[in-house]
Amino acid sequence: MSGEEEENAAELKIGDEFLKAKCLMNCEVSFILEHKYEQLRHMSEDPLNQVSQVFEKSLQYVKRFSRYKNPDAVRQVREILSRYQLTEFELCVLGNLCPETVEEAIAMVPSMKTKGRGLDEEAIEKMLNDLSLIKTFE
Amino acid sequence: MFSEVELLRTVIMLQKNLGQDKLASQRCIVTQLLRRLSMEKASEHEGYFLNVTGLKRIGKGQAIGRSGYTFFPVKFTCRTFMPVPGETLQGVVYRVCRTGAFMSCGPVNVVFLSTLKMPGYHYVAGEEPFFLGSDLSKIETGVVVQFVVLAVRWIENVYGRKELQMLASILGDNLGPISLCEW
Repeated sequence: MSGEEEENAAELKIGDEFLKAKCLMNCEVSFILEHKYEQLRHMSEDPLNQVSQVFEKSLQYVKRFSRYKNPDAVRQVREILSRYQLTEFELCVLGNLCPETVEEAIAMVPSMKTKGRGLDEEAIEKMLNDLSLIKTFE
Repeated sequence: MFSEVELLRTVIMLQKNLGQDKLASQRCIVTQLLRRLSMEKASEHEGYFLNVTGLKRIGKGQAIGRSGYTFFPVKFTCRTFMPVPGETLQGVVYRVCRTGAFMSCGPVNVVFLSTLKMPGYHYVAGEEPFFLGSDLSKIETGVVVQFVVLAVRWIENVYGRKELQMLASILGDNLGPISLCEW
């Protein structure tokens, strides 16, 4: 198995690559890959022939598991989550899984409750309420 | 997790295949880079390559003796999918056997959920076997399961097979089969 035994997303031990990289939510990747697929569709009669299996499977996955379908909603989700002291990784996990309660959010992203983070339950609840509003009006 | 990362690759070009001018040479180098990534598909530390998003820099070419080849270091940004232990993901079950269930998750074809990591579920044999939970939920072919990544393994063999595989677990809150209407 993975040689990096200390890797653990629950404790935000995710390696320098993820800490430096821009993480993307499924809904963001869905728009990007769909756009690419449309470009290929216009260029070729059989776009599936032009894309790799990796691209095709990723596109199917993000289309199926995107919580938000509207581009404005996706932008708002990132904007709202960016207001809280979250890392890119945590932001995307929350945007992908859309927890409904504070307990769910902490179970999905345990690193939020690390001491000194300044993210109390009130702040998390407000964040989830804001996200649910976007979903309601999407 | 999907992410946009900066990568560095060495592109080896035959000097005679380089274009007449700088722009044409760049085009040749980028084409070769895309060809290489398409064949590479994935790497152990970077995950699966989805698409190149930008070219940052093509370094100075260095000739390899009198071979006629030159190598260029190329820095670029790329979208990738790389699962991380401890991350929560969703997978779709495609095979159930006595020891557990196999799922696919994005470009990862093999995600194994062992019976040891699905407490409260027991195996029901038959033409289309499945796992039945104490709450009457089912883990069967076609079902979406929310799981936590236990471990990630890189497979590379002599037959050219290169892929990431995952071990999954549904031990914990908010994990397990998800209602179909949600997805």
